Amino acid sequence: MVVLNFTLSEEGVAVFHDALACMFKFSDDVCIEARKDKLTLTALNISKSAYICFSFSSTRFFSQYLFEGNAQYRDRFFCQLYIKSLLSIFRSRQGSDQNRDGSAAIERCDVAIDDGPGKKSRLVARIASRNGITASHSLSFEIKAPTHAKFDEAEAVNHWNISSRTLRQVMDHFGPGIELLDINTDDDTRVVNFTCFTEKVQKRGAPVEEAVLKKPLHTNIAVEMDEFDDVQVQDKLHIIISVKDFRAILQHAQSTNGELVTRYSNPGRPMKLSYSRDGLLCEFVLMTVGEKDAISQKHKNSRQNAVSNARPELDSVSHRASSIVNNQKHQTQEAAPRPSAQQKTPSARQPHFDIRPKPIPPPPPPATNGSDSLFVSQGPDDDGLWEPVNPDEEDEEDNARLEWNTTAEPDTSSIRISSFLPRPAETQDPTADRLLSGLEPTQRLSDVCFTRISTNLLLWPC
Amino acid sequence: MRFKTDLKNIRTLSKLAAALNSLEKIAWVRLDDDSVRFTVIPDTGSQVWATLSVDLIFDGYHIQSAEPNNTINLELPLGPLQRALKSATGSNHANLRLTKRDGVPMLSMTIHTMTKDAQQDARGGGQFGGGGGGAGRSYHHGQDFGNDPDPFGDAGDVFQQESLELSLKREREKVITQDIPVRVLHPDTVETIMQPKVREPDVHIQLPPLLQLKAISDRFTKLALTTATSNRGTGSQNPKLELSANMHGSLRLRLVTETLDITSVWENLDNPLLDQSQLTVPLAEHPSTIFEAAGPNKWATVRVDGKDWSRVLSVGRLDGRVIACFADDHALILYVYVPNFDDISSEDVITYYVSSYSS
Repeated sequence: MVVLNFTLSEEGVAVFHDALACMFKFSDDVCIEARKDKLTLTALNISKSAYICFSFSSTRFFSQYLFEGNAQYRDRFFCQLYIKSLLSIFRSRQGSDQNRDGSAAIERCDVAIDDGPGKKSRLVARIASRNGITASHSLSFEIKAPTHAKFDEAEAVNHWNISSRTLRQVMDHFGPGIELLDINTDDDTRVVNFTCFTEKVQKRGAPVEEAVLKKPLHTNIAVEMDEFDDVQVQDKLHIIISVKDFRAILQHAQSTNGELVTRYSNPGRPMKLSYSRDGLLCEFVLMTVGEKDAISQKHKNSRQNAVSNARPELDSVSHRASSIVNNQKHQTQEAAPRPSAQQKTPSARQPHFDIRPKPIPPPPPPATNGSDSLFVSQGPDDDGLWEPVNPDEEDEEDNARLEWNTTAEPDTSSIRISSFLPRPAETQDPTADRLLSGLEPTQRLSDVCFTRISTNLLLWPC
Repeated sequence: MRFKTDLKNIRTLSKLAAALNSLEKIAWVRLDDDSVRFTVIPDTGSQVWATLSVDLIFDGYHIQSAEPNNTINLELPLGPLQRALKSATGSNHANLRLTKRDGVPMLSMTIHTMTKDAQQDARGGGQFGGGGGGAGRSYHHGQDFGNDPDPFGDAGDVFQQESLELSLKREREKVITQDIPVRVLHPDTVETIMQPKVREPDVHIQLPPLLQLKAISDRFTKLALTTATSNRGTGSQNPKLELSANMHGSLRLRLVTETLDITSVWENLDNPLLDQSQLTVPLAEHPSTIFEAAGPNKWATVRVDGKDWSRVLSVGRLDGRVIACFADDHALILYVYVPNFDDISSEDVITYYVSSYSS
């Protein structure tokens, strides 16, 4: 039985795609929640520090929208899908309509959700292109109640509005490798400061001298308050969020040309960013870094910290969700209370938002003092695997044999202005490092070549 | 120890940083009363010594230290420098000063700039068909040209299009501070780092446009890599290119592998005349004179690493005249003359000591 039926115009498909693409930066799956008046897409990132909610108005956004409901889902219907599979449906059309001058452009897209007792649960998207081809995609989904983040508007007394486009361009000035964004105001100079920094390198004690040079740019951008439409912020209040999240939001926000509205209260409490375009309301709730968190995190292993803190939260939510699914009873609004309603108890103060983990949650950032991705650490694991046959480098040079270099540490006795920085490809993708963890080479390929050809290298006479 | 200056010719400095960054991530920068020197010495590969006159990139330059000639030696990561300069490109005003934050020395770049909205508007807005068009604000970029006499200045800044739409808010200048981490080096540390000395070259020749040379060199290198992977065994070695020049205006690039032997030759290149006053030997006894007398078949040849050579040639982005000096089977040095439109007579030279290999 068809629960929901809606039609997207060509432009609607593009907007839908962009919304999903934005969500994909936070989460792998999306919850679709349909009501009579709106269709809501929600997602929560794995560390539960960011919540995204896109609401499409049933009358203004869709060319056609019909929420039928059934006995089981009278007021609302919800399901969860992989964002990737949804993206792949819309993505290919988008590309072709730019390249081929509209001949294969999407004319419209009909989406129907089929569910009910004895029926296959399916989301069917039928995409009709201008050239007469109609493609149908059928996706299975999981019935799962969406999780909504709680945000107390009354508490969030600090707020500012600015053109999302302007803010997006300001963000262009931030370099790579930064993690955190500190937003603070200065009433004396009438500016709002956006400061990007990272805690990565200086984690353990005094930084090694070379490590200083590995620190990313520390960037501060002062934007005059006059450029904001409405600034009401406690003077000198520092609020810290993840740069990655903020970038992802702005990337999407700039496409709407709209005003970005930001509301927040204090460090460690959620911050809400929202903007809208025709028939679409985009809301983001981000957990801000508490002052205590920021300090304690500096001294802890970030990975353990993130995992241990995020884990219990994950379990409790999935348990809650699955229990709802298992019950499968008639769900009136009372029977399926929105999770946000449950959490208004004071004991669960900020249940969806644990303290901020690192922007890339699973792998630990490699650039600590202990592990240097350029000079591969001689950890106990690596040692055994890559113990060289001839560990003496001097011999190696004499014989000019192709050997693995044993010296993981650069030779500090010889003065060089050499790079202690890892190659960009290695630093920027800690995931890759981890994937190869068992197979890391003990030196760069170029170094290997160097030892091999060192006999005939013409050295510069000094 | 003090260092403070306004920046000019930001694009030139930015291109230099990019060219050096392709060889090595960290540079040794030596600042003194008269000049700015960037040096990169990679573990393997070519080293670069770039000496620029202060006037080329700085304005209102103040330097002070306990060392003779007010010398300050810094170790500077090139990636962050490049990123900071990117922010400064097209700005109204930018300055640089040595400072400390949390006890850590920093090169702090302060940039007064506008956001570049108009160009992005055209690209980003069209995506949604409706409504994307010209909602941008109208910005005036041109107010403050006196402060940034960048000869490479983007014409786009001057002829900024103004949107017809009226905006309620005027674009305000933003102040961006980019702090680049640096290490201050003790003079003793750098004392032992010497610029290489090479014997008088056999051949000196002006290179053809580097973009062309790089395209062909890169193609050769790729060819060598593909043939190397097809016959296993040589795969671990980087391909070597053979580079030769004579005193009769020819440059030859050659690749020899087991399966192929390809050569590109440029002719009618310029062999610049030597200035007797700069020479330690009489011109008649100079190796290049001997090579010239030996005729066009007398080549000076070196072998260079294909990948390293490609990184060296990235200096072409500076659009400078490049003189290559060949010491046969021994060394290759490139002198890149940085164009300075403020002062034609100035000699800003980047010297590449290209790592070379015997055959």
